[in-house]
Amino acid sequence: MSTIDLASAKPPSEARAIPLLPNIGARSGVIVALLVLWELAARLGWINAFLFPAPSNIAATIWTQSGPDGNPPYAMPMHVLRSMIRLLAGIALAVVIGTVLGVLIGMTRWARTLFQPLISIFMPVPTLAWTPVLLLLTGIDDRTTIIVVFIAAVFEVIYTIVAGIEMMNVKLFWVARSMGASRLQIFLRVIIPAIFPYLITGMRLGTGYAWRALIAAEMLAASSLGLGFMIYDASEYMSTNVIYAGIILIAVLGYLLENVLIGRLEASTTEKWGIQSER
Amino acid sequence: MSADPAKVLPMNARSKPKIVAKGVQKNFGSVVAMEDVTLSIQEREFIAIIGPSGCGKSTFLYLIAGFEKPSGGELTLNGKAIRGPGPDRGVVFQEFVLFPWLTVLRNITLGLDIQGVKREEAEERALKWIRLTGLSGFENAYPSTLSGGMKQRVAIARALTYEPEVLLLDEPFGALDVQTKNYMIKDLQNLWQEANRTIVMITHSVTEAVHMADRVVVLSSRPSRVIADVRIDVPHPRDRRNPSMHRYEDEITAILSAEVDKAMSLERQIGLL
Repeated sequence: MSTIDLASAKPPSEARAIPLLPNIGARSGVIVALLVLWELAARLGWINAFLFPAPSNIAATIWTQSGPDGNPPYAMPMHVLRSMIRLLAGIALAVVIGTVLGVLIGMTRWARTLFQPLISIFMPVPTLAWTPVLLLLTGIDDRTTIIVVFIAAVFEVIYTIVAGIEMMNVKLFWVARSMGASRLQIFLRVIIPAIFPYLITGMRLGTGYAWRALIAAEMLAASSLGLGFMIYDASEYMSTNVIYAGIILIAVLGYLLENVLIGRLEASTTEKWGIQSER
Repeated sequence: MSADPAKVLPMNARSKPKIVAKGVQKNFGSVVAMEDVTLSIQEREFIAIIGPSGCGKSTFLYLIAGFEKPSGGELTLNGKAIRGPGPDRGVVFQEFVLFPWLTVLRNITLGLDIQGVKREEAEERALKWIRLTGLSGFENAYPSTLSGGMKQRVAIARALTYEPEVLLLDEPFGALDVQTKNYMIKDLQNLWQEANRTIVMITHSVTEAVHMADRVVVLSSRPSRVIADVRIDVPHPRDRRNPSMHRYEDEITAILSAEVDKAMSLERQIGLL
């Protein structure tokens, strides 16, 4: 009896996780099969091993470039670290500024009048179009790439936060105001947690855009480090191994960001509370 | 011996008016939701307000809570005009309105927490209401795991824990199934005595009103006025089978049905035009 009650009380997201489970084996099977086929094709000369180097060669490159024999030593982790720092700094900025702007737009008429036309104009502009201007403004340093990440992520954050505010039950404010809550208390203790599911959705979408924008911006505006720079630099020297290493790392890191970083955040907040975040 | 009116009406002599509405009016745009509601609610009185659906019962409660402003007339609490919500009034909504990101305990202590009461003291004070609402053992559960009845218990405990002078109940059992509702009404009987405060409950159930309140006020259909004001002279705890309760129920049901008939026929006439 009690077990039935517990099972039905679980949030629907957990129920959805069950049919996904058998897929994980099948999915990694597809990837492994593809790698094996690629390896064979490269070794047996079916494909051009310069344009499509064997996965084992790419793995070896990642391995050496990650160690003291890399060029420069420990190159790979340094590229990854630098890209991650830029990405996380830009996303953190986008979350903070996007949340504040989103709440203002959602709750005040003046902010809506002021920002909504600006957002409608600038949202469709590809983030990379800003890079030349930013380069002129800040020069070749991390500020350019961080701002590119920020621009790529912030619109999604604002957009989902405004949607979250519009969906909020006005009675949540009423209860808090009946308790004598100040404006600041209402903002921190009611609005922020109430829009959290939307904030996670905004971060999820924003991080996807930001990750792509970062790699591209690093190709244009990074002087020495970052995965985008690494790929661009390798193309000058025709090091296809390094180019593929970069592509694989971008894919793996992107997957980890979405599923581990944001997945963890989701598990410790909205899933624990039993509310669905919009996907 | 001189006839002292205070002795004729001992209830009124002992208590003083807590909430006074004089000719309260509320318009929403061109719609007159409420015209001339005049009503005096005594300190520590449990009053139920009942009326046909859409008559503006809840609006009246929101006016007392300070969520809405009256368009005319006077509405006072402790002799002062009501200007916005405040911690002297606690509200319980039909749809619970719990904070889903807080556990049962944190929902209940939030009011004290916001007022700067220390965590241990807040928990200490919450404990009494957790026990009286029958929530012991559920302190660390999140609202999403609770049934409707349990959620409403949390909302009631949450409103009582910061000790408002007035408790406002907006159809507190309206979202529950009949069995849960009947059980809760019986189970929480002592809670209202224990709380010992001014309670205003909006309801559309005559049985609920007669069972719980000291006084039942009937509002007319829109634009609403007070059309009956009945004191329920049955001591607590009340028994459903008590014949005088049935008389009160019949009396109020008759007034209410007449009002609903009038409203419906009016609506049909408008529909035919």
